Amino acid sequence: MTDLATATQSGSQPVAPAPAKIAVRNLQFHYRDFHAVRNVHMDIPERQVTAIIGPSGCGKSTLLRVFNRIYAIYPHLRAEGEVRLDGENILDPGYSLNRLRSKVGMVFQKPVPFPMTIFENIAYGIRHHESLSRADMDVRVEQALRAAALWDEVKDKLKHSALGLSGGQQQRLCIARGIALRPQVLLLDEPTSALDPIATGRIEQLIEELKRDYTIVIVTHNMQQAARVSDRTAFMYMGELIEFGDTEKIFTKPDKKQTEDYITGRFG
Amino acid sequence: MSVASVTLDSNRGRDRTDARNDALFRWALRFCALLVLAALLGAALSTLWGGREVLFGDGWRFLTSAQWNPVENRYGAWAPIYGTLVTSLIAIVIAVPLSFGIALFLTEIAPAWLRAPIGTGIELLAAIPSIIYGMWGLFVFVPFMAAHVDPLLDASLGRLPWIGTLFQGPPLGLGLLTAGIVLAVMIVPFISSVMREVFQTVPVRLKESAYALGSTTWEVAWDIVLPYTRQAVIGGIFLGLGRALGETMAVTFVLGNAYGLTASLLMPGTSISSSIANEFNEAAGLHRSALIALGFLLFVVTFIVLLIARWMLRSLQRKAGKA
Amino acid sequence: MSTRIHRRRHAKNIAAQVLASAATLLALAFLVWILWETISRGLQAIGISLFTKITAYADQGGLANAIVGSAIIDAMAIALSAPIGVMAGAYLAEYARSTRLGATIRFLNDILLSAPSIVLGLFVYVIVVLPMTAVTNGTTTFSALAGSIALALIGLPVIVRTTDEMLQLVPSTLREAALSLGIPQWKLTVQVLMRAAGSGILTGVLLALARLSGETAPLLFTAFGNNYMAFGPLEKMASLPAAIYQYTNDPNPALHAIAWAGALLIALFVLALSLLARTVFARGKTSHD
Repeated sequence: MTDLATATQSGSQPVAPAPAKIAVRNLQFHYRDFHAVRNVHMDIPERQVTAIIGPSGCGKSTLLRVFNRIYAIYPHLRAEGEVRLDGENILDPGYSLNRLRSKVGMVFQKPVPFPMTIFENIAYGIRHHESLSRADMDVRVEQALRAAALWDEVKDKLKHSALGLSGGQQQRLCIARGIALRPQVLLLDEPTSALDPIATGRIEQLIEELKRDYTIVIVTHNMQQAARVSDRTAFMYMGELIEFGDTEKIFTKPDKKQTEDYITGRFG
Repeated sequence: MSVASVTLDSNRGRDRTDARNDALFRWALRFCALLVLAALLGAALSTLWGGREVLFGDGWRFLTSAQWNPVENRYGAWAPIYGTLVTSLIAIVIAVPLSFGIALFLTEIAPAWLRAPIGTGIELLAAIPSIIYGMWGLFVFVPFMAAHVDPLLDASLGRLPWIGTLFQGPPLGLGLLTAGIVLAVMIVPFISSVMREVFQTVPVRLKESAYALGSTTWEVAWDIVLPYTRQAVIGGIFLGLGRALGETMAVTFVLGNAYGLTASLLMPGTSISSSIANEFNEAAGLHRSALIALGFLLFVVTFIVLLIARWMLRSLQRKAGKA
Repeated sequence: MSTRIHRRRHAKNIAAQVLASAATLLALAFLVWILWETISRGLQAIGISLFTKITAYADQGGLANAIVGSAIIDAMAIALSAPIGVMAGAYLAEYARSTRLGATIRFLNDILLSAPSIVLGLFVYVIVVLPMTAVTNGTTTFSALAGSIALALIGLPVIVRTTDEMLQLVPSTLREAALSLGIPQWKLTVQVLMRAAGSGILTGVLLALARLSGETAPLLFTAFGNNYMAFGPLEKMASLPAAIYQYTNDPNPALHAIAWAGALLIALFVLALSLLARTVFARGKTSHD
């Protein structure tokens, strides 16, 4: 199964020994008449960081937004094909949305804290999925904040509004909020594009730590970032997956001319 | 594996409750939104029903007859209709140039620091409850009109041929002209705020290129801004007209409540809304039905006027959104 | 030749600017005039008895029952219109942002916003007062409840419109963030979006209260009036605007003085609410950026 899958990948070698957490098969994405993502096949390995890069409008964010079906909240968007999470097709309408959303967390471009206290920001999502005692909830919130390297900065002001945090802190809070549901996959959609270099550095460091426990997929327009944080890199162009492979290989000797042009800055 | 299947089931269950609650929520919200439609439809139908004896009994005669006689139990709506139309027309004639001046002042003439406080002041005119306009009209403005304006008009414009008849009469203070002026003050904030808003949608490039050609402020306003925003300006005027037609308290006190039809604007009159306000609680039977029928007329007329207003304003909002 | 044209254009421009400034001054003069008369005449009649005595004592009395009545009717009206208006606005913003039904309701709501209030009073008279009279064989006719329903119809479109607009301003990323945690739409709307737009929605409710609390015409044939203290929602009830209307129509100048005091109370209440709405809105704005 895995062998067959990797064989169909466009031009990359099966570098990762880890099993595929997410297997994408023949994925098509339409916005009305616009064919935004075409024929994508890819195997995203477990507990590694997979980066998706490409010029803006190439469909990289669209692809990411298929992985938790968040695109479905807007009209006229349509995904076809298969996206198998642990072997089950999440595009199947019968696939539980609650299950999907608790297994796959997402962090967005701009930090979007809820208009609540720091504590409530974390607890709010948990409460929908599980009923915990107060003490258990305290533990879960602390764990999540620690995992997102935010605990020390906010432990004395958990009852303060989350809107008072700095941009970098807010983004780590959003990461904490995502991992508080104990997901297996974390989707990061250009998570540092709204942050300053120092905050960006902290997030990148965090990603490095988180990959021990989570399968991470990150979309970024920053090639250096992809090179720094990811194990595998996918390059997309005009809705197609051009090349997908080991990050080091993609950045040093890519197979495809288009990849090389993009990496060396000749376009995009 | 058993843990996984338990969470799987609980997830399915939660999916179902979420879907059910979402559907319930959506229907509850939709019901509330439909109440807005129900309110408008209900207002039309209930007044149609309440006024059916007169509306269907007398038909067109109800509209055209000027005889309003509770003693003989005969009701014709022409006098109140006439009063409503004339006072609203006076209000528009006064309020439109005033509002245009205000909008021009606030968008092109006033220094930036002055715009916000003056704009707020004009908006405050809209916040004053209409009963206060009515009281001020009766106790302050009517004596002012009687002492200063009416005699002056009678002595000057009243002497002119043709239009003189409009301005002849004893200095009562009360009357169609006074009501029209009070209405004008009331609707100025509505019209001027629409004008001000749409004047700001005129692309700066357009104005700058006119200024670059040596146009004056007035020429830019008259030749560029006004044509560009004409549709919305008309919408704003209709919005003000809708307000003026339906206003009750501000006109009831100053109109004089007289059913006689006179050519002079200085004479007392009545209007649809003030007839209803003045007589409703003493009326019974056919009289009450006639008053509700008046309400139906008022609703239909204002609805049409406001429909036109919103239609014109809507298309400009689209245009501004695209530009 | 060209200088003469130039001079004429220049003169026309000056005249236009002077006239525009004069128009603004005139409008402001009316504002000051109305407020000044209300304040100066109102202050003369404000005393303890205004708040302690009821209208039954006429010129020896006060407006206590009308003040209490207004408080009750206005509170009931806003309690009716706020939840319905917020829910209707949420429907427009969250479920019907670009549907035809949404556009229609938004359009008609704007018309309801400027519909003649006296007709809304007649509407409630026909659908509440008349049936109530028939059902109770005339023991209950006009009622505070009917008055508050009429006023609720005045406040409703204000709340619908602001809620719709304020929710539309909430960035869609907040929706995505909550949905990506598995939060269902209804929880998202009530617990996240309405909280995010909270100050804006509150502004709408305050503006609606300001607007409906000054209305007179819809009360005349719904709550009617009452010269005595009344508390029950099914009783005829006095209200400040209706009492002012009644006193203004009376030939007795002593009653006019009391009416001015009542007008001052209403004006202060309405202006304070408008001011409060502005501050709430401004504060909400700064805390979001």
